[in-house]
Amino acid sequence: MFAVHGLWSPGRGLLLWAEDGERPATTSSRSLRSARPHPFAVPSAELAELHPGKPVIVTLLLPSRRSGPVASPELVRSAPIRAGRSSPSLLPWSVPAVIVDPTELDDPAEQVRYGASVAHLREMLRFADGLAARGRVLPTLVREPGPEARWRLIVQGRDAVVFDALVSALPPVGRAERQAPGATTGPDPGELVGDAVAVLTDTAVRDRLARADALVPLVPPRRGRVPRRIPVTEGWLAALLTSDGRVEADERELDELARALEPWDGVGTESAGPARASFRLTEVGVLDDPAAPDGPSTDQTGDGTRWQLQFHLQSAADPSLLVPADRIWGGGAGKLARLIGEPQELLLAELGRASLVYPALTPSLRQARPESLDLDLEGAARFLTEDAALLLGAGFGVQLPAGWDGGRRLGLRLSVRSTPTAGVVTRSGLGREQVADFRWGLAVGDDVLDAAELDALVAAKAPLVRLRGNWVTIDPEQLRAGLEFLRRAERSRAGRHPPSAADVLALAQRHPAELADELPLPVTGVDAQGWLGDLLDGTAERSLEPLEPPPGFTAWLRPYQRRGLSWLAFLSSLGLGACLADDMGLGKTVQLLALEAHERAGLPASRGATLLLCPMSLVGTWQREAARFVPGLRVLVHHGGDRIRGDGFADAVAAADLVVTTYGTATRDIDMLAAVAWRRIVLDEAQAIKNSLAATSKAVRRLRAEHRIALTGTPMENRLAELWSVMDFLNPGVLGSTERFRQRFAVPVERYGDTEAAGLLRRITRPYLLRRMKTDPNVIDDLPEKIEITQHYRLTREQASLYQTVVDDMMEKIEGSDGIARRGNVLAAMAKLKQVCNHPAQLLHDGSEIGRRSGKVARLEEILTEILAEGDKVLCFTQFTEFAQMLVPHLCARFDQEVLYLHGGTNKRQRDEMIERFRSPGGPSIFLLSLKAGGTGLTLTAANHVVHLDRWWNPAVEDQATDRAFRIGQRRTVQVRKFVCPGTVEERIDEMITSKKTLSGMVISDGERWLTELSTVELREVLTLGAEAVDGTDE
Amino acid sequence: MARMSERTPWWRDAPPSRPRRVSGGIQIHTARGSVAQTWWSARFIEVLESLGVGGRLARGRTYARAGQTLDLRVEPGAVVARVQGTRPQPYRVRIGLRTYGKAEWTAVEQALADDAWYAAALLAGRMPPEIEQLFASLGLALFPASGHDLSMDCSCPDYAVPCKHLAAVFYVLAERFDADPFEILALRGRDRETLLANLRARRGGTAQAPDAPQATPLADLLDTFFVAGPSEASQLPPAPTPPDALLDQVPAFPIEVRGHRVVDLLRPAYRALGDG
Repeated sequence: MFAVHGLWSPGRGLLLWAEDGERPATTSSRSLRSARPHPFAVPSAELAELHPGKPVIVTLLLPSRRSGPVASPELVRSAPIRAGRSSPSLLPWSVPAVIVDPTELDDPAEQVRYGASVAHLREMLRFADGLAARGRVLPTLVREPGPEARWRLIVQGRDAVVFDALVSALPPVGRAERQAPGATTGPDPGELVGDAVAVLTDTAVRDRLARADALVPLVPPRRGRVPRRIPVTEGWLAALLTSDGRVEADERELDELARALEPWDGVGTESAGPARASFRLTEVGVLDDPAAPDGPSTDQTGDGTRWQLQFHLQSAADPSLLVPADRIWGGGAGKLARLIGEPQELLLAELGRASLVYPALTPSLRQARPESLDLDLEGAARFLTEDAALLLGAGFGVQLPAGWDGGRRLGLRLSVRSTPTAGVVTRSGLGREQVADFRWGLAVGDDVLDAAELDALVAAKAPLVRLRGNWVTIDPEQLRAGLEFLRRAERSRAGRHPPSAADVLALAQRHPAELADELPLPVTGVDAQGWLGDLLDGTAERSLEPLEPPPGFTAWLRPYQRRGLSWLAFLSSLGLGACLADDMGLGKTVQLLALEAHERAGLPASRGATLLLCPMSLVGTWQREAARFVPGLRVLVHHGGDRIRGDGFADAVAAADLVVTTYGTATRDIDMLAAVAWRRIVLDEAQAIKNSLAATSKAVRRLRAEHRIALTGTPMENRLAELWSVMDFLNPGVLGSTERFRQRFAVPVERYGDTEAAGLLRRITRPYLLRRMKTDPNVIDDLPEKIEITQHYRLTREQASLYQTVVDDMMEKIEGSDGIARRGNVLAAMAKLKQVCNHPAQLLHDGSEIGRRSGKVARLEEILTEILAEGDKVLCFTQFTEFAQMLVPHLCARFDQEVLYLHGGTNKRQRDEMIERFRSPGGPSIFLLSLKAGGTGLTLTAANHVVHLDRWWNPAVEDQATDRAFRIGQRRTVQVRKFVCPGTVEERIDEMITSKKTLSGMVISDGERWLTELSTVELREVLTLGAEAVDGTDE
Repeated sequence: MARMSERTPWWRDAPPSRPRRVSGGIQIHTARGSVAQTWWSARFIEVLESLGVGGRLARGRTYARAGQTLDLRVEPGAVVARVQGTRPQPYRVRIGLRTYGKAEWTAVEQALADDAWYAAALLAGRMPPEIEQLFASLGLALFPASGHDLSMDCSCPDYAVPCKHLAAVFYVLAERFDADPFEILALRGRDRETLLANLRARRGGTAQAPDAPQATPLADLLDTFFVAGPSEASQLPPAPTPPDALLDQVPAFPIEVRGHRVVDLLRPAYRALGDG
């Protein structure tokens, strides 16, 4: 497994290099004079397979012992090495690397761990792209090397803070490239990050302009003859768009252009220094202010306060470090004085510059030591709404009064009353018109204004008003428009029908910007009572009356599952798509089956069939559970080579209630499936459509149905765009177009942690999302302490053919032997088949890459993904050390974290240390144990998941292992998973163990000896490979 | 006035008034129209133009654009420059302006220190218009009112004053003043550093030298070699300004492209940046 690191190499670009856990840790070269070849660095050619680029050799200064570099913490060695005792020192190593394109960083390879330096490069890239997107660049001319036209970044204000954060976050390995023989300091972090961001920003601007929808010509089109010599300025403008930026001109012309550019080259450099001016708007109590002897004349608000804009110098590196102007004039700049040479001149220059952006500042500067600007009420309001943003944009700091919240604007609020949720009938379609009362009001933020407050606002006629103790800006024009709207709404209310429930939902869910055309003010909220309110609040599940399990449904529903059923039925009756996102193990399958039974109870079969899409590995599970819980449900599996196609399909669907298919098959058969009018489409493991551009997602969107449901344990694995994809499938258009969504939610929330956008997104999605956690007190009481789950998976083709070979070979041997020899052969056959089910490489001993050769490993990865996403910890038991040794580096790379491994060779000290680390909250989350070494004695209650990777055909042994987690001290429900592949020895023996009657007469002693007592005929039955073990189609 | 060398035959056919080509001279940027970009430099050009004859001024401008001015120094009381003309030896050009006396400067500095607006504007690169009044109130004139306030000399054989070389120096000087208005005060006897230090002293501040932070040697970071440093990246969203906002804040760009302002040519590109 590789651990990949990166660095910025000035003049060369982004450079990646990697360590390999399989290579020797030390070198035999003893030369300490020159840079020795790094013993476990990955050769450039091999690294270039993961990240294509130009191979180079670099000299890196790395922490080292005499015989080799110290491995990075990301590197996992298959064979542990002895830690040296001497303390490490810095030594040069000659390391192969590749120079890669920035886009490579967004395309991480599998099976690889990336170090902090790569994450840091990615951050720099993001920063550079943000500067480009916001136009924080100015064109310039670079003479050496060159001449080239470049985009120079303008780093001011908040960007300067982010830039400084990037500098301090640079991990030492990111500047490990040796600059000159003998140098040991490494490049200056500020200079290195500065160079990287400068080059990356220039590239980002050119990329963005090249990608722009319309061609952006910087040079005006020429009419007539093109002169022999293009003027240098034109050539330079044109070069701002080319990939190399090369400018063709003679020195004289270049001098001329360079001088013309001087004023522009000065922009951004003045405040890129360590401090900038910051303006703080404060409310000063005049009664307590001895500096304001004028008394009432400065009392602009009428209630004893006045507004003042106070000047400060603010450290760019540490924005919390603010020095007020009076201290700067007094000669004491405190901590800042260490950073800036001439604080007074800096403050003056900043104020002079600010007066360009904010001319109202000028009068306050007409004194020897300007400290603040007195503002009248209009001025303060204008500052809050306009000038502050201008100052921020020009790179100045702005601090607004505490309690000020730009989001608290005047807006409209809708109040709706509907019947209480508890009385809602979920069986028949719920009338969308059942809105009892409906009324518009004016509000500021969440405060609805009453008549008296509105009168006071109108009377105030001032833009800045104190409302319920806080200051808000009220635009008189908006206030007038709002009141006018209320009057019109009131008049039309008498004559017209109230809006339907659908209208209210649409209103509540639309982005404020979209309503701007229809309404004079933004809608700040919807107050809805009754079922509509519960739906909008996302509390419908709790308010609905739990439905009784429908007739014909054989399973017992836990209380939370009955509430889930009611919720699904409720949304279905409204025709709203629903996403059931309960934690894994809470029974999403059962709830969906109950809904199908509920809807079909007592209704003619002509309702139409439900189409269910799921990953291939779950087809069998659905089929089995449907048969078990709703025996009356007619299930059609549309999957495999022999599935019904053509004319017969419509008839088959007409005779079915539930059609189960896979995502792959559905994508292939989409024309046929889209021709059917489905009652409902259900997506199981709906994260399958997380990429809205993938073929599967596009195909799924073509399906027509009255109702849509998505089932998933992880509605969003990584990016908000995944949520968009699922939500847009459920209720098309609910989150707007992808582009809009990216602009309004994804970028603000993911990049800038914008809580307002996140809140709005939550509000829009919560009516359609039901997510219950195992830790939820409403759920936890309903749960058993231990849930046993049989985890089905399928063999790959390679595994299946290997399995068949082993069966043929072993049956021959078993038939030809008896007594102890026969016993040995039976046990050997069992072991070999178990190995095949684990992974082909385990039987072939070929030591090859894990790849996608094992259906079990693929399924294990899915399960671990879910477990880790929950923040849970898991124990994985296997009886094969070889399998464990394959899995450890693979899982490390796949999940980019340490995987603990306890086996027979682990000594007590190591074992105690592992257990301790697993127990600590920040410790590793995956613990792999050999059944023999870890199956008894240990207490590992930090884990609430247990996975049995392969079976030990003795329930007692497995239970004993399970009890490592499920024992005193465990406060959560433990989920136990046993891997079973249908149609193989695993499933047959699992059935034998579960159904006690088959076992009666067999004496289950310790171990698996009882299996050897089976007759040859029985054995053949047990071992034979069933068709269902492997899938007919490749997915 | 020596005759031109016979050893340079290519030169003989050239028009006699064409000056020797100069490389590395100071060129002005404005392609056409008025050279002075700001009101304060315009005041010097106005004096020049009140004196000059059209032809010499135009040639002077051509000289200035061609970079015939080899160097230019602003000293207390005089601007000294060398301009390459037709002769091998560059001409020496001097424009003199009276410096203020010690007492006068004391009064000016006090007035400037009493009103921070002047220093703020100057430090931001602008000469505040009110400054004329400030000087006037002290009985002083910052700008020359006419040619009588200036002494102009050039070592060229031209009898006229101003000659084209003087004119060229005026134009180059105007651009110098555009870029740094402190230069006008320097011409009057106070260079930027002295003036700022004096103002600070009157305000009562002290100067401190900054210490540049040093990069930590890698050898001291072995324990955290592969770990990212502490970072409290700001979660503040950037100010919601349009992507072309910067173009409205930059100083004027002196060159135009076929009648288009460079800022206008760049604007569509800046808008396109925000779309990606």
